[in-house]
Amino acid sequence: MATVLGKKKTVRINGCVAAAQAAKYADVDVIAAYPIRPYTATMMALAQMVANGELDAEYIVADSEHSQLSIAHGASSSGARVFTGSSGVGVHFAFELYSPISGSRMPVQMMIADRTLDPPGDFGSEHTDALATRDMGWLMGWSCDAQEAFDNHLMGYRIGEDPRVLLPQMVCQDGFFVSHITSEVDLPDPGQVKEFLPPYKHPYPLDPRHPVSHGPQIMPEQGPPLQLERARAMEGSMPVIEEIHEEFAKIFGRRYDPWIEEFMTDDADVVFFLQGAHAVTGRYAIRHMRERGAKVGLVRLRTFRPYPTDRVREVLSKFKVVGVIETNMGLGSVSSGGSLYAEVCGALYESDRRPLVHSFMAGMGGEAIVLKEFYWMTQKMLEAQKRGKIEKRTHWVGFED
Amino acid sequence: MAYTELTVWTRGIIMDKEGRDIVNSVAAAGRLEGKYTQAMENYVDNPDRTNAPTRKYCRLSDSEIENALTYENEHPNIVVLVEQTMVKGWDYMRGMPPGGTLIINTHYSPEYMIRFVPGPERLTQLVCVDAAKLADHKWLYYRLGELGLDRLSTEGAAERNKAIAPDIAAPLIAAVVKTTGIVKLETIEPMIANKAAFHAGLEALQVLPLGQAVA
Repeated sequence: MATVLGKKKTVRINGCVAAAQAAKYADVDVIAAYPIRPYTATMMALAQMVANGELDAEYIVADSEHSQLSIAHGASSSGARVFTGSSGVGVHFAFELYSPISGSRMPVQMMIADRTLDPPGDFGSEHTDALATRDMGWLMGWSCDAQEAFDNHLMGYRIGEDPRVLLPQMVCQDGFFVSHITSEVDLPDPGQVKEFLPPYKHPYPLDPRHPVSHGPQIMPEQGPPLQLERARAMEGSMPVIEEIHEEFAKIFGRRYDPWIEEFMTDDADVVFFLQGAHAVTGRYAIRHMRERGAKVGLVRLRTFRPYPTDRVREVLSKFKVVGVIETNMGLGSVSSGGSLYAEVCGALYESDRRPLVHSFMAGMGGEAIVLKEFYWMTQKMLEAQKRGKIEKRTHWVGFED
Repeated sequence: MAYTELTVWTRGIIMDKEGRDIVNSVAAAGRLEGKYTQAMENYVDNPDRTNAPTRKYCRLSDSEIENALTYENEHPNIVVLVEQTMVKGWDYMRGMPPGGTLIINTHYSPEYMIRFVPGPERLTQLVCVDAAKLADHKWLYYRLGELGLDRLSTEGAAERNKAIAPDIAAPLIAAVVKTTGIVKLETIEPMIANKAAFHAGLEALQVLPLGQAVA
């Protein structure tokens, strides 16, 4: 049996199915699954592809997320291309495995359809589930629609499996806003995928014919070089990421800036800085506010790990005020708001033209951020610009006048 | 018809496909007519359970749909109840602007059903269609043994039956389209699997005109 791919076509699918389709186009060898909404729809779609004979892969349903990621780790160690995924608390139940997987340099791919942790534990999207794992050595970034999710999954494999990188990837999308919203997705020609994504070949897979050791017990003095290697792999992935985005654009015709997408920022004084799907509503809000004369724009971070510090500094230094839309919980953090604020301010520290920075707690609990909330936040930024200083670091949107 | 919301109330799992077929076919027909459209299920009603109330949404607009990421239809212009007992028990009329249309799959008349409708003064018409009978449907409750095999949520799974509206959705779609003009009959008709039930629905629906003009 072999994986069957059709001709190039445009379909209407949601983000969950787009992720499953990408796994199929990447012709994954092993799928480690364990249900939790909203990711469940992805594993359901993959199960159906395997059952229908469209996808030739080992489909393993684990007994928990911890086992799921352990299976993914083992399968990747033996040289398989692995796809797995989770949401919300499921992402955290597997936490122990994230460092070993990146530490052994296994390019496992994990789809994250964000869901709030408990509380509130509703099905809505907060980025905290994935962001909490940000320092575990996984490449990480958010898409804002189903097409971008599909593309990010393909690029994720190519980047992570590059012998210069060899790192696992969390390919994240907002629960509901991407995972369950249907939009048009171009499924590529199998020839294009073949050209872009060669078969996976790990340099040192576990193989009884060629014995190697993975993850042996080591002495403290062996630790530093191991950690340095992993840090270098993360840092060294940056030019590879740029190169692969360029190649993707050439083959598929869709060009993404790997780090940052700017929207109506040319003459902007104040800008939003965010990740993920709220950019979709944000763009409409900005068009409306532009009609009313507000010089507002939007900067969307596409890759969070590795964090493009220099690029963030370069881009955000052009503006007077930056409003970070968090959609994550950073309880007791630098701003007492979300954890994105510190990442933004850290990048701006070395700038000689530092904008004022707000942390906006919006979209919490997975609530949609509606147009009027974008207007309200813009107003706060414009007031700060006029005043020359912020009223306070963190605003909880919807709880203030 | 600059911006229109259609909300379908149905019952989890056993009548899930009927609800999905209505919103999906209307959205697809709208796209063919050059409109911006969106069809989706209520996110928090899923994972659904057998018989639990679930909602399916459709949005049609002459311009881009700017609220595409909002979870619910907050102001439904058209509401469909796929099963008649849903007329009591919850406020499916919530948020409906004046001039709305309510469509019920029932063997009762609209004159009888109107007494159960919360806030009927917002309606311009109440439409009843005996969709189960017109589609020659063995009523779902008699098939629970067979349907019982499928008691878990269908979320994320593709339909086993690829045909659109092979059953009671067909007369309901006919009622929606004929009484509201949300899309053209000739656009949607080719998509419908059960053409006989669709055409029977066009003829057999009962409309009770009510006072409220379209806002």
